[in-house]
Amino acid sequence: MGNKQTIFTAQQLDAYQDCTFFTRKEILRLFDRYRDLAPQLVPLDYTDQPDVRLPYELIGSMPELKDNPFRQRIAEVFSEDGEGNMTLDDFLDMFSVLSEMAPRDLKAYYAFKIYDFNNDDFLCKSDLEKTLNKLTRNELTEDEVRMVCEKVIDEADLDNDGRLSLEDFQHMIVRAPDFLSTFHIRI
Amino acid sequence: MSHYNNTGGYNNTAYHDSDTLEIDRSPSRKSQSQSHHSNPHGNPYPRDDGAAGERGRSDLLQLPGGVQSSYDDAQERVPWGGWQEGSWRGRDSIPMGLLPPRSESPRWQQHDLNHSGYQIDQATHYDTMPPVRLPSATSGHVSMRFRGSRKMSLFPVGEAALGNLGLSEDDIRNEMENEEHNLVQELVAMSTRDRIKAIRDLPMSFDDKKHIRGQVLALKSFKKSRQLNCFSDCSTTVSLAFRRCGANMTLARQTLELWRGTMKEVEGKFGTGVLSYFKFLKWLLMFNIFSFLVNFGFITIPQLIYHPTPDIPAGVSFRGLEILTGAGYFSHTVMYYGGYSNKTQGTGGWPEYNMQLAYFFTIAAYMVLCGAALIYSMASSFRKKYVLADSGLGGAWQLLCSWDFSVTNEKAVRQRKNNLRIQLKESLSEKVQVALLPLTERLKHYGVFLGTWLLSTGMALGCGASVYFLCQYDTSRTRKSADKASGSLLEEAATLLLPFVVSLINLVVPLFYSLFKKIEHYSNPRMQVYAIIVRNVILKMSILAILCYYWMKDVANTFSCWESIVGQALYRLVIMDFLFVMLGSFFGEFLSNVIGTKCIQSLGVPEFDVARNVLDLIYAQTLAWIGIYFSPLLPVIQIIKFFILFYLKKVSLTQNCQPPRRAGRAAQMQTIFIAILFFPSFVGALSMVAYTVWTLPPSDKCGPFRGLNTTFSAIQIWMDDLNGVDAFQWTVWIYQHVIRSEIFYFLVSLIILVFIYIFRQITQGRQLLIILLRQQIVNEGKDKAFLLEKLQTLQKSKQNKQKKKKQVRKRQENESSTGMQQALIARQRLEQENGDSSSSFGVPMPSGHSVSTTSSAMMQAMLARQYAEDQDVASYRGVPFPADQTPASSSALIQAMQARQRAESQNEDEFYRAPVQSQNPVNALPSAMIQVMQARQRAESEQEEDEFYRAPIHSEHPVSSTSSAMIQVMQARQRAEEEESECYRAPASSQHPDASGTGSALIQAMLARQQVEEEYGDRY
Repeated sequence: MGNKQTIFTAQQLDAYQDCTFFTRKEILRLFDRYRDLAPQLVPLDYTDQPDVRLPYELIGSMPELKDNPFRQRIAEVFSEDGEGNMTLDDFLDMFSVLSEMAPRDLKAYYAFKIYDFNNDDFLCKSDLEKTLNKLTRNELTEDEVRMVCEKVIDEADLDNDGRLSLEDFQHMIVRAPDFLSTFHIRI
Repeated sequence: MSHYNNTGGYNNTAYHDSDTLEIDRSPSRKSQSQSHHSNPHGNPYPRDDGAAGERGRSDLLQLPGGVQSSYDDAQERVPWGGWQEGSWRGRDSIPMGLLPPRSESPRWQQHDLNHSGYQIDQATHYDTMPPVRLPSATSGHVSMRFRGSRKMSLFPVGEAALGNLGLSEDDIRNEMENEEHNLVQELVAMSTRDRIKAIRDLPMSFDDKKHIRGQVLALKSFKKSRQLNCFSDCSTTVSLAFRRCGANMTLARQTLELWRGTMKEVEGKFGTGVLSYFKFLKWLLMFNIFSFLVNFGFITIPQLIYHPTPDIPAGVSFRGLEILTGAGYFSHTVMYYGGYSNKTQGTGGWPEYNMQLAYFFTIAAYMVLCGAALIYSMASSFRKKYVLADSGLGGAWQLLCSWDFSVTNEKAVRQRKNNLRIQLKESLSEKVQVALLPLTERLKHYGVFLGTWLLSTGMALGCGASVYFLCQYDTSRTRKSADKASGSLLEEAATLLLPFVVSLINLVVPLFYSLFKKIEHYSNPRMQVYAIIVRNVILKMSILAILCYYWMKDVANTFSCWESIVGQALYRLVIMDFLFVMLGSFFGEFLSNVIGTKCIQSLGVPEFDVARNVLDLIYAQTLAWIGIYFSPLLPVIQIIKFFILFYLKKVSLTQNCQPPRRAGRAAQMQTIFIAILFFPSFVGALSMVAYTVWTLPPSDKCGPFRGLNTTFSAIQIWMDDLNGVDAFQWTVWIYQHVIRSEIFYFLVSLIILVFIYIFRQITQGRQLLIILLRQQIVNEGKDKAFLLEKLQTLQKSKQNKQKKKKQVRKRQENESSTGMQQALIARQRLEQENGDSSSSFGVPMPSGHSVSTTSSAMMQAMLARQYAEDQDVASYRGVPFPADQTPASSSALIQAMQARQRAESQNEDEFYRAPVQSQNPVNALPSAMIQVMQARQRAESEQEEDEFYRAPIHSEHPVSSTSSAMIQVMQARQRAEEEESECYRAPASSQHPDASGTGSALIQAMLARQQVEEEYGDRY
């Protein structure tokens, strides 16, 4: 540990450990990953909390994200500025939520955010259509897209308001235990 | 960080008091933050305003206690707060009239440009805001409660949202402050462990979490510092040390984690479904490592210490074939039961070690621990993954939950997208298909099911029978060779026949079973998988049962050292199984890959069959469990086997296979596999071992239990020994009264049965409750829809009534009063919409303001009607409105009414007040207009309930009382007041008789004056 400790102070590491699901080693590993994205931008000394923000282009080019159809949404949701430009904190936050240890409710909350393209706190038809197009490479006909979206809303909308609220979504997640393992990015 | 960095701050009282003195600090914060206003990093994203502002403040809040580091932190944070502060101030100042009057107009005009279609959108948007923003008011749970603020902070960027939010900015801020305060309080009350967990689970950004954590820690240490004693200090240090220690443990565990990179690679290419096979393999490997450690540590090492060299008879040497057969040289080593002595070791200086007891208790403890671990993981898996799973979620699940975020391979992603598309299409067409199946078709399906099931069961039984006859043959052959006592290589190799056949059956028959899916038509693909699993399990378990029967019945009575013979047989089975699994992955995967890509293109690249492979693992593990008594070191073979298998399967997978086409529900399958591992596999092995231990006589010539009636009598002898020793009387008592007494087991099973019954009842009750609750959710949704509909119809009917009333009135009155009527109607409509959705005023009203600055009063009246109508059309399409009756007479009355409308609308939205006031000096053209404006001002001011405003406005009364228009204005005011005191609808009906009955405006005016004066007196 000795030489690596200079990146963060012990207190910083404690804070990171308390606020994320990572151990010290993982935090340092994630820091390395973060720094590898732009070695010239990210300093090796984080004890004075430099205000470094990596642009989305770099974040999205990570092998873990680059082929993910939702990479832009993920970056947007987890970045403080909402445009996918990430600080180290955002970066840790993102992988913390996507880690194995994160509880279902937390994962469901962020998954909901990711699917909520227009940020209106509801998954409406347009959100579902966007999701569907991202997942199927725009190869379904308009009619099919509409039918699938209707089916989804029909199945998951409990209060019949024609869109999915966070509660609806969570209720669905509870019944889909696979979600915990699929909403997961190994680092 | 500041709050954590400087430990001195913990004991600083002022530092912590600052938490309660937030208000006093805010001015200083203002000055601070404004000095940084020009910071280039200022937050250009208003959506984060609430949270960010707060963060900025709270970090600064800790400034007094902090040192340099905290100042740095503040510097970093300030831009956020700074921007925020500026924006708040700007907004606050609008009503004060400090800004130029038309500073806001671009925004209004922009709204004006928006089409009415957008208005509805806007309305819903606005409507939904409050429940979204404040869910925490009702939910008490920590992880839920703070959601509101994050939502708030993630709220979309946009002027409209800002405009709508602007109103209750303070409320939101207060709400969030309260929430945060409560949250911090709640967290402080928790134990350290719970608190960390709760903080981690908060759905907030890392900075927010850090901030909350800092506050909690500060508050906590502050509380502690009050009771300044050594103990609390020590306990903090100790708990911190423990936590660091715990973190280190996790770290060590992670370092030891096997195959992390490989797992990631597999997951990235094939998704979580295939990964579950590797996870299962790893899990079983852990079982075997544990088993090896226990057996080696407690049985083998003592044996090796006291008898370092095995007693190998002359003429037996290691020939190499033993690795396959396990016989010969190995049969005399510690590999098998026969290699252990029955003596109490440790004569002469060495501590005593009873091999009998060690052997018995080690195996028993291992079995019990295995059982506990299996039951635990099975139960938790069932609870988490199986019971909750709902097959009713087809499309929703596929769209929103099935995407595997862990897949990182480009090709795999593309393939997955394709598969998902196909599945979605299928699920769309399936619906139609199911309903159309005729009876004959269904009967045919049932016939096929019956046939396949009969065939598969028959095959399983046939295999079992053939294995049994082979065993018989094997026995006779072995007896013959034992008579001859010639250990030739060929004869040793002949022992491999039985395991060869068994493994061959295990390889071929499942492949045959998988052909069934070509003729069977299951409506649900999962049912098909279940059917295949059940058939395979039946096959494997029947073969194992036959083998066990043979060993218990025949081998145990025939051979002198039969435990070792069974151990050898198991060893051979394990080895053969390993070889055949390798062959299986060669034939099953490599060959079909070659065939699929080179010869028959239509077959395609094979998929990795998770179910078949996992069942192979379960079979192998069953063998290991059965063998644990007969061959304590069998886990070593198993470990090696699994280790090699892991890499073999990984290579085979990446070289030969493609990702599965169907995103199966891996979690459920995993649960089923654990269940199978427990029920037929572990329970079977356990009962086999238990039967051996309790009833079968151990062999006379070898093994630790030689000379005893049963293995269990070793315990009896031990107890008899202990009986003489006073210190161990309690052990004897337990043995006599608990272990050996039937009544104890009877009572225990009775109690367990009672508990099972009770829990079953509870479960049923809960299930009922779940159904009820689900029903309730659905009902609530229906209720909501119903109420909304009811509200709409009510409004429609009311409108109709008013229309009728209007028509009646029209008959009574002359045409000259049409203007007033129109205005009244317009007003009513607006009022209704007021009740309906207050927000619908938001957009159209400002358009009126911007226009009104230029035109005459007449124009305004027209406008008022127009947009009243517009809204009418927008919200109540189909309700006829007499638009053609527009009066040409521009009476001041209309203006007055109009003014009232506006006043009312402003009542809804304080924010619009600023531009309204600013109009005052601009349109001085018609005298009536001014009065209208004044009236409106008054109405506004009263609605504001501000004493400061009231006085000057009331003083205007005598001035304006002369004009006839003013009288109407007064009347309008009166009504506004009425409505203010009561609810909206009631006065609407009460004032109409008033208006229509008298007819003359004068009387109304008098009335209005009266009331005004009364009010005047009241207030001053």
